[in-house]
Amino acid sequence: MPRVVKSTIVNAPTDAVWDVIRDFNGHDQWHPAIASSQIERAQPSDKVGCVRNFRLEDGANLREQLLTLSDLEQSFSYCLLDTPVPLFNYVSHVRLFPITDGDRTFWEWESRFDTPRGQSDEMTELVGEGIYVAGFNAVKAHMGVFDA
Amino acid sequence: MARVYVSTVISAPASRVWERVRDFNGLPRWHPGIRDSRIEDALPADKVGCIRNFNLQNGDNIREQLLGLSDYDMFCTYSILESPMPLEDYVATLRLTPVTEGDRCFMEWSAEFSCDPADEDDLVGNIGGHVFQDGFDSLKRHFGGS
Repeated sequence: MPRVVKSTIVNAPTDAVWDVIRDFNGHDQWHPAIASSQIERAQPSDKVGCVRNFRLEDGANLREQLLTLSDLEQSFSYCLLDTPVPLFNYVSHVRLFPITDGDRTFWEWESRFDTPRGQSDEMTELVGEGIYVAGFNAVKAHMGVFDA
Repeated sequence: MARVYVSTVISAPASRVWERVRDFNGLPRWHPGIRDSRIEDALPADKVGCIRNFNLQNGDNIREQLLGLSDYDMFCTYSILESPMPLEDYVATLRLTPVTEGDRCFMEWSAEFSCDPADEDDLVGNIGGHVFQDGFDSLKRHFGGS
Protein backbone atom coordinates (compact mmCIF):
# COMPACT_ATOMS: atom_id res chain seq x y z
CA MET A 1 0.00 0.00 0.00
CA PRO A 2 1.82 3.15 -1.17
CA ARG A 3 2.08 5.99 1.29
CA VAL A 4 2.60 9.57 0.20
CA VAL A 5 3.73 12.28 2.60
CA LYS A 6 4.37 15.85 1.57
CA SER A 7 4.99 18.78 3.87
CA THR A 8 5.94 22.41 3.63
CA ILE A 9 6.41 25.60 5.60
CA VAL A 10 4.01 28.49 5.03
CA ASN A 11 5.11 31.95 6.11
CA ALA A 12 1.76 32.74 7.75
CA PRO A 13 0.08 31.79 11.04
CA THR A 14 -1.89 28.53 11.14
CA ASP A 15 -5.16 30.41 11.63
CA ALA A 16 -4.70 32.16 8.28
CA VAL A 17 -3.91 28.91 6.44
CA TRP A 18 -6.76 27.11 8.18
CA ASP A 19 -9.16 29.85 7.04
CA VAL A 20 -8.31 28.91 3.45
CA ILE A 21 -8.20 25.11 3.60
CA ARG A 22 -10.89 24.36 6.20
CA ASP A 23 -13.75 24.67 3.71
CA PHE A 24 -14.13 21.17 2.24
CA ASN A 25 -15.90 22.76 -0.71
CA GLY A 26 -13.45 25.63 -1.17
CA HIS A 27 -10.66 23.86 -3.07
CA ASP A 28 -11.93 25.08 -6.43
CA GLN A 29 -11.08 28.60 -5.20
CA TRP A 30 -7.36 27.86 -4.96
CA HIS A 31 -6.33 24.48 -6.43
CA PRO A 32 -5.34 24.85 -10.11
CA ALA A 33 -6.51 21.34 -11.01
CA ILE A 34 -10.09 21.88 -9.84
CA ALA A 35 -12.64 23.57 -12.04
CA SER A 36 -15.77 23.37 -9.87
CA SER A 37 -17.01 21.74 -6.70
CA GLN A 38 -20.24 21.27 -4.81
CA ILE A 39 -21.37 19.48 -1.67
CA GLU A 40 -24.01 16.85 -2.35
CA ARG A 41 -27.48 17.06 -0.80
CA ALA A 42 -26.92 20.76 -0.02
CA GLN A 43 -25.16 19.85 3.21
CA PRO A 44 -22.82 22.28 4.94
CA SER A 45 -19.17 21.68 4.00
CA ASP A 46 -18.13 21.29 7.63
CA LYS A 47 -20.64 18.51 8.31
CA VAL A 48 -18.56 15.37 8.86
CA GLY A 49 -19.75 12.78 6.38
CA CYS A 50 -20.57 15.27 3.63
CA VAL A 51 -19.49 14.46 0.08
CA ARG A 52 -17.82 16.91 -2.30
CA ASN A 53 -18.50 16.29 -5.93
CA PHE A 54 -16.01 18.08 -8.11
CA ARG A 55 -14.75 18.38 -11.63
CA LEU A 56 -11.14 18.71 -12.70
CA GLU A 57 -9.97 21.09 -15.41
CA ASP A 58 -9.57 18.04 -17.67
CA GLY A 59 -13.25 17.17 -17.20
CA ALA A 60 -12.83 14.21 -14.84
CA ASN A 61 -15.41 13.91 -12.08
CA LEU A 62 -14.51 12.88 -8.50
CA ARG A 63 -16.35 12.39 -5.23
CA GLU A 64 -14.69 12.58 -1.82
CA GLN A 65 -16.15 12.20 1.65
CA LEU A 66 -15.15 14.18 4.73
CA LEU A 67 -14.20 11.72 7.51
CA THR A 68 -12.79 14.01 10.20
CA LEU A 69 -12.69 17.74 10.79
CA SER A 70 -11.05 19.33 13.81
CA ASP A 71 -10.82 23.05 14.43
CA LEU A 72 -8.80 22.28 17.57
CA GLU A 73 -6.07 20.34 15.78
CA GLN A 74 -6.61 22.19 12.50
CA SER A 75 -6.84 18.91 10.65
CA PHE A 76 -9.17 17.00 8.38
CA SER A 77 -9.33 13.59 6.72
CA TYR A 78 -11.20 12.41 3.69
CA CYS A 79 -11.53 9.43 1.42
CA LEU A 80 -12.10 9.00 -2.30
CA LEU A 81 -15.43 7.50 -3.30
CA ASP A 82 -15.32 7.78 -7.09
CA THR A 83 -12.40 8.60 -9.34
CA PRO A 84 -11.38 7.89 -12.93
CA VAL A 85 -7.81 7.02 -11.86
CA PRO A 86 -6.87 3.70 -10.20
CA LEU A 87 -6.75 4.85 -6.57
CA PHE A 88 -8.50 2.51 -4.18
CA ASN A 89 -8.98 2.68 -0.41
CA TYR A 90 -7.54 6.18 -0.61
CA VAL A 91 -7.61 8.01 2.73
CA SER A 92 -5.87 11.34 3.11
CA HIS A 93 -4.99 13.44 6.15
CA VAL A 94 -4.24 17.16 6.23
CA ARG A 95 -2.86 18.81 9.34
CA LEU A 96 -1.45 22.19 10.29
CA PHE A 97 1.07 22.61 13.11
CA PRO A 98 2.06 25.99 14.53
CA ILE A 99 5.71 26.99 14.28
CA THR A 100 5.90 29.17 17.39
CA ASP A 101 9.37 30.35 16.35
CA GLY A 102 8.29 33.01 13.84
CA ASP A 103 4.51 32.38 13.95
CA ARG A 104 4.47 30.25 10.80
CA THR A 105 2.83 26.99 9.72
CA PHE A 106 4.08 23.44 9.18
CA TRP A 107 1.59 21.82 6.82
CA GLU A 108 1.54 18.05 6.34
CA TRP A 109 -0.57 16.26 3.72
CA GLU A 110 -0.45 12.48 3.49
CA SER A 111 -2.35 9.46 2.22
CA ARG A 112 -2.35 5.74 1.75
CA PHE A 113 -4.03 3.91 -1.08
CA ASP A 114 -4.06 0.74 -3.16
CA THR A 115 -3.31 0.76 -6.86
CA PRO A 116 -2.66 -1.98 -9.43
CA ARG A 117 0.82 -3.45 -9.57
CA GLY A 118 2.99 -1.39 -11.90
CA GLN A 119 1.10 1.86 -11.38
CA SER A 120 2.39 2.65 -7.92
CA ASP A 121 5.09 5.11 -9.04
CA GLU A 122 2.76 6.91 -11.40
CA MET A 123 0.01 7.25 -8.81
CA THR A 124 2.46 8.31 -6.10
CA GLU A 125 3.76 11.06 -8.40
CA LEU A 126 0.24 12.14 -9.35
CA VAL A 127 -0.93 12.38 -5.73
CA GLY A 128 2.27 13.81 -4.23
CA GLU A 129 3.23 16.31 -6.89
CA GLY A 130 0.04 16.86 -8.88
CA ILE A 131 -2.26 17.26 -5.88
CA TYR A 132 -0.32 17.97 -2.68
CA VAL A 133 2.69 20.02 -3.81
CA ALA A 134 0.57 21.84 -6.39
CA GLY A 135 -1.91 22.50 -3.58
CA PHE A 136 0.78 23.91 -1.29
CA ASN A 137 1.96 26.26 -4.00
CA ALA A 138 -1.58 27.27 -4.91
CA VAL A 139 -2.53 28.11 -1.33
CA LYS A 140 0.64 30.15 -0.88
CA ALA A 141 -0.10 32.07 -4.08
CA HIS A 142 -3.76 32.49 -3.08
CA MET A 143 -2.69 33.92 0.28
CA GLY A 144 0.04 36.06 -1.27
CA VAL A 145 2.76 34.55 0.92
CA PHE A 146 6.13 33.53 -0.43
CA ASP A 147 8.89 31.20 0.68
CA ALA A 148 11.62 32.86 2.72
CA MET B 1 -2.27 20.84 33.86
CA ALA B 2 -0.01 23.57 32.55
CA ARG B 3 1.15 23.11 28.97
CA VAL B 4 4.16 24.36 27.08
CA TYR B 5 4.49 24.03 23.31
CA VAL B 6 7.20 25.51 21.14
CA SER B 7 8.29 24.58 17.63
CA THR B 8 10.77 25.67 15.02
CA VAL B 9 12.32 24.78 11.68
CA ILE B 10 15.92 23.58 11.46
CA SER B 11 17.75 23.80 8.13
CA ALA B 12 19.04 20.23 8.07
CA PRO B 13 17.50 16.81 7.36
CA ALA B 14 15.66 15.35 10.34
CA SER B 15 18.05 12.39 10.48
CA ARG B 16 21.05 14.67 11.02
CA VAL B 17 19.34 16.71 13.72
CA TRP B 18 18.17 13.48 15.35
CA GLU B 19 21.77 12.24 15.53
CA ARG B 20 22.54 15.27 17.65
CA VAL B 21 19.52 15.28 19.96
CA ARG B 22 18.72 11.57 20.45
CA ASP B 23 21.54 11.04 22.97
CA PHE B 24 19.74 11.37 26.32
CA ASN B 25 23.10 12.14 27.89
CA GLY B 26 24.13 14.59 25.18
CA LEU B 27 22.52 17.85 26.35
CA PRO B 28 25.85 19.54 27.19
CA ARG B 29 26.91 18.99 23.57
CA TRP B 30 24.08 21.04 22.11
CA HIS B 31 22.18 22.92 24.82
CA PRO B 32 23.94 26.06 26.09
CA GLY B 33 22.14 25.94 29.47
CA ILE B 34 23.56 22.55 30.47
CA ARG B 35 27.02 22.26 31.98
CA ASP B 36 27.44 18.52 32.43
CA SER B 37 25.41 15.33 32.43
CA ARG B 38 25.76 11.68 33.33
CA ILE B 39 23.53 8.63 33.19
CA GLU B 40 22.99 7.05 36.59
CA ASP B 41 24.03 3.47 37.27
CA ALA B 42 26.23 3.50 34.14
CA LEU B 43 23.28 2.54 31.94
CA PRO B 44 23.34 3.20 28.19
CA ALA B 45 21.72 6.54 27.31
CA ASP B 46 19.24 4.90 24.95
CA LYS B 47 17.99 2.38 27.50
CA VAL B 48 14.40 3.40 28.19
CA GLY B 49 14.03 3.98 31.90
CA CYS B 50 17.55 5.37 32.37
CA ILE B 51 18.05 8.52 34.43
CA ARG B 52 20.13 11.51 33.40
CA ASN B 53 21.58 13.57 36.20
CA PHE B 54 22.73 16.96 34.97
CA ASN B 55 23.77 20.39 36.15
CA LEU B 56 22.75 23.69 34.65
CA GLN B 57 25.23 26.51 34.10
CA ASN B 58 23.78 28.17 37.23
CA GLY B 59 24.56 25.07 39.29
CA ASP B 60 21.03 23.71 39.61
CA ASN B 61 20.82 19.92 39.54
CA ILE B 62 18.06 18.07 37.69
CA ARG B 63 17.26 14.35 37.35
CA GLU B 64 15.14 13.21 34.43
CA GLN B 65 14.00 9.74 33.38
CA LEU B 66 13.71 8.54 29.78
CA LEU B 67 10.16 7.28 29.23
CA GLY B 68 10.14 6.72 25.49
CA LEU B 69 12.59 6.88 22.59
CA SER B 70 11.79 6.21 18.95
CA ASP B 71 14.36 6.21 16.17
CA TYR B 72 11.50 5.50 13.77
CA ASP B 73 9.25 8.43 14.69
CA MET B 74 12.18 10.49 15.98
CA PHE B 75 10.80 11.47 19.36
CA CYS B 76 11.98 11.32 22.94
CA THR B 77 9.74 11.54 26.02
CA TYR B 78 10.99 12.06 29.55
CA SER B 79 9.86 13.06 33.01
CA ILE B 80 11.43 15.15 35.75
CA LEU B 81 12.23 13.23 38.92
CA GLU B 82 13.91 16.04 40.84
CA SER B 83 14.46 19.70 40.09
CA PRO B 84 14.48 23.05 41.90
CA MET B 85 11.41 24.14 39.89
CA PRO B 86 8.08 24.24 41.80
CA LEU B 87 6.29 21.69 39.62
CA GLU B 88 5.15 18.06 39.62
CA ASP B 89 4.13 15.39 37.13
CA TYR B 90 6.31 16.96 34.45
CA VAL B 91 6.42 15.02 31.17
CA ALA B 92 8.07 16.47 28.07
CA THR B 93 8.41 15.33 24.45
CA LEU B 94 10.88 16.41 21.81
CA ARG B 95 9.92 15.43 18.28
CA LEU B 96 11.35 15.84 14.78
CA THR B 97 9.33 15.62 11.59
CA PRO B 98 10.86 15.86 8.10
CA VAL B 99 9.77 18.72 5.85
CA THR B 100 9.63 17.19 2.38
CA GLU B 101 10.08 20.57 0.65
CA GLY B 102 13.71 21.48 1.24
CA ASP B 103 16.29 19.75 3.44
CA ARG B 104 14.65 20.97 6.62
CA CYS B 105 12.86 19.54 9.60
CA PHE B 106 10.11 20.64 11.93
CA MET B 107 11.02 20.37 15.59
CA GLU B 108 8.51 20.41 18.44
CA TRP B 109 9.19 20.46 22.14
CA SER B 110 6.27 20.26 24.53
CA ALA B 111 5.64 19.62 28.20
CA GLU B 112 2.80 19.16 30.65
CA PHE B 113 3.01 19.53 34.40
CA SER B 114 1.11 20.47 37.55
CA CYS B 115 1.99 23.50 39.64
CA ASP B 116 0.62 26.20 41.87
CA PRO B 117 -1.49 28.46 39.59
CA ALA B 118 0.49 31.44 40.89
CA ASP B 119 3.68 29.95 39.42
CA GLU B 120 2.23 28.80 36.10
CA ASP B 121 2.96 31.84 33.91
CA ASP B 122 6.56 32.07 35.11
CA LEU B 123 7.17 28.35 34.63
CA VAL B 124 5.56 28.22 31.18
CA GLY B 125 7.48 31.32 30.09
CA ASN B 126 10.77 30.06 31.43
CA ILE B 127 10.51 26.51 30.10
CA GLY B 128 9.15 27.47 26.67
CA GLY B 129 10.91 30.77 26.19
CA HIS B 130 14.27 29.86 27.67
CA VAL B 131 14.93 26.16 28.22
CA PHE B 132 13.35 24.93 24.98
CA GLN B 133 13.85 28.00 22.78
CA ASP B 134 17.51 28.30 23.83
CA GLY B 135 17.95 24.72 22.66
CA PHE B 136 16.31 25.57 19.32
CA ASP B 137 18.48 28.65 18.89
CA SER B 138 21.60 26.63 19.55
CA LEU B 139 20.59 23.99 16.97
CA LYS B 140 19.78 26.74 14.47
CA ARG B 141 23.23 28.24 14.99
CA HIS B 142 24.78 24.82 14.43
CA PHE B 143 22.72 23.68 11.44
CA GLY B 144 21.24 26.93 10.21
CA GLY B 145 17.60 27.79 10.79
CA SER B 146 14.85 29.82 9.30
